[in-house]
Amino acid sequence: MTFEEIQSRATAEWEDLCGKTCILVGAATCGRSAGALAVLDAINEELTKRNIDAMVTQVGCIGLCYIEPIIDIAKPGQPHVFYASVTPELVPQIIEDYLIKGDPRPDLALGTVGNEGVKGIPKLFDLAMLRPQVRIVLRNCGFIDPININHYIANGGYGGLVKALKMTPEDVIEEVRKSGLRGRGGAGFPTGVKWGFCRKAPGKEKYLVCNADEGDPGAFMDRSVLEGDPHAVLEGMLIGAYAIGATKGYIYCRAEYPLALERLYTALGQMREYELLGDNILGADFSFEIEIKEGAGAFVCGEETALMASIEGRRGMPRSRPPFPAQSGIWAKPTNINNVETWADVSVILQRGAGWFASYGTEKSKGTKTISLAGKVKHTGLIEVSLGTPLHQVIYDIGGGIAGDKCLKAVQTGGPSGGFIPPELLQTPVDYESLTQLGSIMGSGGMVVADEDNCIVDIARFFLTFTQQESCGKCAPCRVGTRQMLDILERISRGEGEEGDVDKLQRLAETVRDGSLCALGGTAPNPVLTSIRYFRNEYEAHIKGKKCPAAVCKGLVKAPCSHICPAGVDLPRFLRFIRRGKFDEALAVLKEKLPFAETLGYVCPAFCEGKCRRGMLDEVVATRVLHRLVAERGNGLWKTRVKIAPVTGKRVAIIGSGPAGLTAAYYLTKQGHTVTVLEALPEPGGMMRYGIPEYRLPREVLAGEIEEIKSFGVDIRTNAKVSSLDDLFAQGYDAIFLAIGAHQGVKLGIRGEDSAGVMEGVSWLKEINMGDKVRVGGKVAVIGGGNTAIDVSRTALRLGAKEAMVIYRRTKAEMPAGIEEIEEAIHEGVKIEFLTAPAKVERKNAKLELTCIRMELGTVDASGRRRPVPIEGSEFSSSFDTVIVAIGQMPEAPEQFGLALKRGNRFQADPYTLATDRKGVFAGGDAVTGAATIVEAIAAGRQAAISIDKYLGGDGVVDEILSAPDEEVALSEIDEEKHRLTVPTLPLDERLHSFAEVELEISEEAAIGEARRCLLCDLEESI
Amino acid sequence: MNTITLTIDGEKVEVKKGATVLEAAKEAEIYIPTLCYHPGLPPFGACRLCIVEIEKMRGFPSSCTTPAANDMVVHTNTPRIQELRHGILELILSEHPYFCAICERRERCESFSPGIQKTGVVAGCHTCPGNGKCELEEVIEHVGLKEMSLTYYPRELPILKDSPFIDRDYNLCILCGRCVRVCHESIGVSALAFTYRGPKALVGTAFGCSLQDSGCQFCGACVDACPTGSLIERAARWEGVPGQLILTTCPYCGIGCQLNLEVKDGNVATSVPSEDGVNHGLACVKGRFAIRESTYHPSRLKSPLIKRDGRLETATWDEAVNLIASKLPNYQGEQFALICSSPCTNEDYYIAQKFARVVMNSNNIDHQSSRLSHSPSVIGLSQSFGSPGMTNSINEIGNAACILLIGSNVSCDNPIIRAEIMRAVDKGAKLIAVNPLRIDLCRFAHSWLQLLPGSDVALLMGMMRVIVDENLADWPFIEERCENFDAFKESLKEFTPDFVEKVTGLAWQQVVETARTYAKQKPAVILYGTGITQHTHGTNNVLALCDLAMLTGNLGKPSSGVYPLEGENNAHGACDMGAIADLYPDYQPVYIEASKAKFERAWACALNSNSGLTFSEIFNAVAEHQIKALYLIGNPIFNQPLPDKLRHWLEELEILIVQDSFPSEISQLAHVVLPAASFAEKDGTFTSAERKVQRVRKASKTIGNSRPDWQIICQVAEKMGAKGFHFDHPSQIMEEIATVMPDYSGITYERLEGSGLQWPCPGNDHRGTPILYSDKFANGKGRFTALKYKPSAELPDENYPLILTTECSLYHLYTKVLTSKVRGLEVLSPKETVEMNPLDAAKLGINDGDVVKVISRRGELTSRAKVTEVVASGVVSMNLHLAESLINSAVDSTSKIPEFKVCAVKIEKT
Repeated sequence: MTFEEIQSRATAEWEDLCGKTCILVGAATCGRSAGALAVLDAINEELTKRNIDAMVTQVGCIGLCYIEPIIDIAKPGQPHVFYASVTPELVPQIIEDYLIKGDPRPDLALGTVGNEGVKGIPKLFDLAMLRPQVRIVLRNCGFIDPININHYIANGGYGGLVKALKMTPEDVIEEVRKSGLRGRGGAGFPTGVKWGFCRKAPGKEKYLVCNADEGDPGAFMDRSVLEGDPHAVLEGMLIGAYAIGATKGYIYCRAEYPLALERLYTALGQMREYELLGDNILGADFSFEIEIKEGAGAFVCGEETALMASIEGRRGMPRSRPPFPAQSGIWAKPTNINNVETWADVSVILQRGAGWFASYGTEKSKGTKTISLAGKVKHTGLIEVSLGTPLHQVIYDIGGGIAGDKCLKAVQTGGPSGGFIPPELLQTPVDYESLTQLGSIMGSGGMVVADEDNCIVDIARFFLTFTQQESCGKCAPCRVGTRQMLDILERISRGEGEEGDVDKLQRLAETVRDGSLCALGGTAPNPVLTSIRYFRNEYEAHIKGKKCPAAVCKGLVKAPCSHICPAGVDLPRFLRFIRRGKFDEALAVLKEKLPFAETLGYVCPAFCEGKCRRGMLDEVVATRVLHRLVAERGNGLWKTRVKIAPVTGKRVAIIGSGPAGLTAAYYLTKQGHTVTVLEALPEPGGMMRYGIPEYRLPREVLAGEIEEIKSFGVDIRTNAKVSSLDDLFAQGYDAIFLAIGAHQGVKLGIRGEDSAGVMEGVSWLKEINMGDKVRVGGKVAVIGGGNTAIDVSRTALRLGAKEAMVIYRRTKAEMPAGIEEIEEAIHEGVKIEFLTAPAKVERKNAKLELTCIRMELGTVDASGRRRPVPIEGSEFSSSFDTVIVAIGQMPEAPEQFGLALKRGNRFQADPYTLATDRKGVFAGGDAVTGAATIVEAIAAGRQAAISIDKYLGGDGVVDEILSAPDEEVALSEIDEEKHRLTVPTLPLDERLHSFAEVELEISEEAAIGEARRCLLCDLEESI
Repeated sequence: MNTITLTIDGEKVEVKKGATVLEAAKEAEIYIPTLCYHPGLPPFGACRLCIVEIEKMRGFPSSCTTPAANDMVVHTNTPRIQELRHGILELILSEHPYFCAICERRERCESFSPGIQKTGVVAGCHTCPGNGKCELEEVIEHVGLKEMSLTYYPRELPILKDSPFIDRDYNLCILCGRCVRVCHESIGVSALAFTYRGPKALVGTAFGCSLQDSGCQFCGACVDACPTGSLIERAARWEGVPGQLILTTCPYCGIGCQLNLEVKDGNVATSVPSEDGVNHGLACVKGRFAIRESTYHPSRLKSPLIKRDGRLETATWDEAVNLIASKLPNYQGEQFALICSSPCTNEDYYIAQKFARVVMNSNNIDHQSSRLSHSPSVIGLSQSFGSPGMTNSINEIGNAACILLIGSNVSCDNPIIRAEIMRAVDKGAKLIAVNPLRIDLCRFAHSWLQLLPGSDVALLMGMMRVIVDENLADWPFIEERCENFDAFKESLKEFTPDFVEKVTGLAWQQVVETARTYAKQKPAVILYGTGITQHTHGTNNVLALCDLAMLTGNLGKPSSGVYPLEGENNAHGACDMGAIADLYPDYQPVYIEASKAKFERAWACALNSNSGLTFSEIFNAVAEHQIKALYLIGNPIFNQPLPDKLRHWLEELEILIVQDSFPSEISQLAHVVLPAASFAEKDGTFTSAERKVQRVRKASKTIGNSRPDWQIICQVAEKMGAKGFHFDHPSQIMEEIATVMPDYSGITYERLEGSGLQWPCPGNDHRGTPILYSDKFANGKGRFTALKYKPSAELPDENYPLILTTECSLYHLYTKVLTSKVRGLEVLSPKETVEMNPLDAAKLGINDGDVVKVISRRGELTSRAKVTEVVASGVVSMNLHLAESLINSAVDSTSKIPEFKVCAVKIEKT
């Protein structure tokens, strides 16, 4: 049979299909693991049952792994309709509705393919994930039957070979060279040039290898191609063999890919049948054989010299180059190695021309690249994009952004040997040079997205665990170096990191990188080197702060809730006491770490809830409300257990009586020091007193807790503004703690900001909280998205405003204010304009005309959130009586203190000891961090007490156990799904005319029930 | 342009093309630290210490793997390189007990260090057997490592002492892979390998089995390659740095390996192969590990003994010599015989035969091992080519394109030859193994012909028939350089395909293909061993091989020729020196008047013109009381219980003199026992299988009162009043040898310094002859021999249905005199088994491991059956030294070699 005859037969078979109802089931490994085979069975069963004549075929992966299993139904003359996340239960419905009743069920359908559309169903390739993609390698995946060579041929298959055989080998090489195709295995060496070397190498016997030893964790590009379109790879090899003059080819495929291997064996059989292998292929003077070698699971065998050794039957250990494989490869004969994807590109290049291929990509990186997109993106799967596509587009457009609307932390490209790329570099195009420049690599195309819940140290440790285990052991830098590095990383993640570890790690990593024999060792340190480069502070948090900011590292984190709590409250123990109704003991647990337990019961942002593992099951445990309850129910048992050290005779001045100042005062007093708190305002409490509206924090609660602190002997002097530190030292104070908070509003920086009627949020609240009579107009605009903005808007309504509108430049997901606060505000009638930013304010006719501009989300900034970008021409104006700016605060740090300041007028202090550059002077809280939360300020106050105590000669141990001994309770009810308790709130009509507290009390039973939802993560190790 | 010029550290260096940067640096005497580099092995690039910076090259290439190129600019010691090397060395050391190596009190510790060498664990250099020889210490010194910042990961592995000779302490291993590579690439055994990966990666055996079970040949190359104390020879474990190295020649097989004896306080601590000899730094288990133990074995004879009242009693030398000198004159002429055995030096043999011929006027002098292994070669090669030596040199084998290995299991007989063969095979040479047994090298062979024992002539003639018929012969060579071709060609007719198939048991097609391969792949060598010679038609076998080489013109050219592989040490020397019955030194027949006259002149005496008796004839003559005085040098009898018959014969001798290093059953029968010094205690020369005369040098102090053989004989001769036996040093004997042996006439001890000389070396300015017959054959033309197939003397029949063939052991030489003294060799030598094919075993109902009785017409013995496909159906095989009582004593009519390789047996299950 001539090839033309084969072609026409194949085309006829393909066209035949169009006259038939076809159901294609994505049944590659990814589909199968999602249950595609069960769906397939259900389809066959249903068709038999209903006696429907339809052709059911297994096809490869279309790339939308996150919604597998996917089926595609094509009725004769109709477009293909795709259904995602199909279950066997759904099958009868779809078949009944579409095949029998003719209703394609737009509600279930994912998209259509075909010239005609179906009403109500989008075109598949218009889906956000698919639209930016360019499918060259994956051209057939998911559309043809991979075990039917005729399908491949009918879709142009082996056309590239036919064309190549009419050209001289040199011309074929030239065509590939012109296309700009570079090795997709990772190194990116120009394929045509490589072929040329091998062609020119002397010798009759030459070998060709397809490297299908895809060993990167999280990479599945090659597998998908082999499973979905094996002939694309094999045809590429034939063309390469012809061009190079090779007579024997090997496919080195890992044995862990059973389906890919099965497809390859089938495909080779079909090729033999069509005489596409063997002597005189297609009648040309060209003979070629292909043999499959199954790899035994060593990652290093993906390295070409190790791979060749493995093919020869030797231990897969790399050797130095030169000689390069093109000179001396398998059995010392010239050998050309390319990976699966490179081979899959070749046929199309021949068919459609080098120019066409080169029209995709960038100057130096032509064509497309398949990427397996994994990690914390919404749409995980296999994608193919034009080289040069910005990472940002890959993650946000194709990947759909970060799952759970969390903050992006880093993108890791190139498999376990790749590096981390921080959010601020996300505009980087995906191409060989750009990624290398950032310290990462293209690798074979793995891309893993990490969010705020991922610990960088932990990921680096994970990858290094892999690479060190997969080191072949030949050279010491790789074998021992990776182990030494892992050792340090493990120590750091256990909380046993030492000062200097990061530098040591860096030195080791450089030795391994520069000293290793092969690329495995040469690139294995990349995750470590880039994470140090971009996330050094995260290492330091582990080493100096003994904190894992993502609350991941096992050794450091017993329970993520208490780990993430700035004050370090032992929440599981706290909840265990509540379970048994021992509220007084539970309060004691709180009081071990914070003197403002009840205050926080009202206003804590509850970082603990953000990390609660119960959330993975149903909903997080409502710890804050329980704080409040125990504080109310407690009888002060804890006070009887507090120990106070003998008087030391040392005197400490604390400037500021906010949460930081008073907490420091409390603990320093307990350590025996004599403490004086100096407060500029008339009443103590700082922002707790002057920043937070009363409906959120009743005054008597705060006053009560301040009284408690005073009762331990803290001397608080109000209306006592300090203007000189020298004076204080002169007065005999031994140490000073600056906790002046951040009371100065940040300006917007727009035109008209100084107009009358434009106010600044925190001062406005302060005035109200000082009892001043503040008037507010009927229509109020609040600019900002934090708690202050929400407090201002809700206060405005209570003061009689008819309308309060919050203007925020990003979306609700990014809003810094607590979600409950936002919901309550909306509930109370506050309007929020998202994606809007003020542009100017004008005073017009006693009104303020506020011009705003609409925003859209652009690239990610260093915080891992997407940056808002103005939409040109979207300006609009509204008029308001009052405009209140609440976009942040900064400290009013007096210059005469003579201390070093950093950006935002903040004091410069060591983040871990809080020591300033002046001896004996410490600073903490908002004055150092900028406006933050009360619990963070409390943590700072506690740390200041520790540091100052040490400075004054103490041991710095402020910890004490105030509760009764913890009884580890038997676990119960943890499996059962149970929703979080709902807190009753004040009815709306009672709220708006008063400052009465909104949240109402919960019952003790409810509290105990809620506490029983705790999974007791801290006991994980002991179980 | 065959040279390359590059710049290293600012210095211009010129090297040969193909040299690596490291080699270039060595040339320029620029030190680059290395650990995995080994001059005998291909570069590996694993230790990474030899990294350099090369301008216009990325990264830090390893200099050992990077080929030098013109105009390359190399920096070996930039600050970054120093830093990196420091870092890498620290990493290597983090798995190695390094503490002493970087201790600043090291020097002081050395002088006060107590005897802590018996500690079980190596904690640092001071408790390490490698101390002083360790390359790591050198590198640390050079890199200047003073402190370690890394965590130490002790492996805490037990020291492996599960095999003889070698201790393995992998706690010290730095994974340089030298042991693995030398085992794989130089030896071709691959007993050692890398195991596991990642941090568990190490070297070891497959599945962690013992070295015996791994296929290890105990050549010790791994021990010699190891740069640390990880692999250590157990016996020499605590010997430390040797005081002196004495270069000498191995006393075991005939290959002539050069060994360095490490001497400390006058004792040989161990023997390490020299890089310079034919062995290129390799040795076999015997040369590497057996010398120390056999030299200092407590049973060594330390004093002369004289039998008084039926008991051997200690005597003085004077007493013993006087006794002999008083007795021997009574037996001059045919009543006297002298048999020498390996290992004697050329000087010993020369003096021995001179003593027999001059003092005792007898030609009854023979040499055990050459008579029993290669006497057919002496005759066959001489008849065809005019001279009895190996035609080419051993190191040429590695460059051959085809190797016909016939009748030899070199893996046991001559392990160094195996390494040569592997070298050729690695380069693509076709190895044709012809052997009734599936020998070890069959694994690497292009083809294996499992012919029936004793059918070699049929096979070879069949092959030659194909070569002639297919016109593959080298006609010009035959025309110009050979004679008697027509008669030979005529004799091929008998060897029809049917006939050959029937006799050899091979398919004709296989014969055809083998013939084609041998004839087409040039140059081709023929290597043969006792499987060819130990037949009643042994000489014919040799002649057939000579015909084959001539037919294809594979003579007189490098890497071609015919290689008789001698099993025992200095058998060549024994023949050269005339320690054989019918030949004077230099193969001059005693029955030719001219040669007799020559030697009568040289030795100033009248000589006996009768051909002497050969080895077995001597014993027959003893039995018939024709010989009444027997002088044995060494032990010529298999180290088995003496057969009663033989014991009886020996007891009836009127005087039996045994001159040996060890007591034996025979020495128990002697009237006088003379303690002979071992090779390590004396000076002299050995002549190796490749005709190379090499020095033996005194390394050890003498054991007891023993004396070198030549000295003892000279004493006896002088006592008997003979002239011409006064020598102060063996070099003087060599001076006399040079005067009577034309082929040795250019050889003096002085000229032997260096690498020795290959005879013919006819003159003081002659540089020896590595390849014979480059221009012409010794007698002018090579002579084809027309041959007929002659069946073995005893073929299987109904009563004795199986063919017994014999093989040799790697761990013993024929009579086991030297090897049986070494415990480790005894441990390693295979249990006494008889190998039989599963088909035969099944027929007899025998299972693997069953105790069986092997019976021949001459005797029987019990053994265990090893059921294996190593042997073909109808053939059984045993080690020669075990099967002695069974084998046929029929001899080849010309060479008088007994037919050790074929006899008929039956096997019974007990």
